[in-house]
Amino acid sequence: MKFRRSTKLLVDVPAVASGDIAFNLIVFFLVCASTQPDTGRSQILPKSEQTQEQKEQDEHLTVDLKRNAILINGDPVKVSEVKARVKAKLAGKSRPDDRVVIVKSTDDVPYHAWIEVTSQIEDAGGIITLQLEEERTVDVPQ
Amino acid sequence: MKMKRGKPKVDIPSVAMGDIAFNLLIFFVILAQSQDDSHIQWTPAKADNLKGAGYTRVTVTIDKDQKVYLNGQELSEGQLASRIESNLGDAPAGQRKVMLKAHSDCTAAKFEPVIEAISQAGGELVHILEDKKQK
Repeated sequence: MKFRRSTKLLVDVPAVASGDIAFNLIVFFLVCASTQPDTGRSQILPKSEQTQEQKEQDEHLTVDLKRNAILINGDPVKVSEVKARVKAKLAGKSRPDDRVVIVKSTDDVPYHAWIEVTSQIEDAGGIITLQLEEERTVDVPQ
Repeated sequence: MKMKRGKPKVDIPSVAMGDIAFNLLIFFVILAQSQDDSHIQWTPAKADNLKGAGYTRVTVTIDKDQKVYLNGQELSEGQLASRIESNLGDAPAGQRKVMLKAHSDCTAAKFEPVIEAISQAGGELVHILEDKKQK
């Protein structure tokens, strides 16, 4: 009588380390998600000044930002026209002092509108100076 | 005749040492990220021509309720300039970045004093924004 030898071997995937592998994958993606680099626009700010002469302010280009309007030296403009208008006004002015643009905002101006306008002024070559309520100014060289 | 019993060999299981070391490393990396402001709810404004903001020790966030946070901790605007200044310490120019994460709809009444405080502390302002072309 012949006995048949069983040749089939039981092969298992080693599952002991599966927990460790899963945990490491979770941690890996957690770290990747939390260190996603941010993007933005930089502005170098020197220390703010308490006061500035009115005469000096009058010589510079002034942009008034209101919730629903933008005025350049008192003239209303559309958001899409700001860059071109500022560029035209600053044409031929090469000294940094001449390219200062004073930005005055009312309290209700939203940040997205402010950043859009100031970005356009910077792109047009303007050097932003914020005029705050308490007669304080912040110079923003490009 | 007496048979001497052999001493049982006892080893600390060292198979998982690599895993343990790796997990410890990751644990401390996560702990080291002290500027955790992931709990703050804010939506970035959108703009063009953005660049990588890099990394900084100081992040100021204005959330959707117009509350101001410094490195994830809520504080008043009056405290902001001095706290930023102490965080920046004697860092030289170029290493005094301060990230401003302002909620898209927050108003000038809130974000302008924050910008002023960053200016007073001698910080180099970086507005954190989202690229218009995304999505």
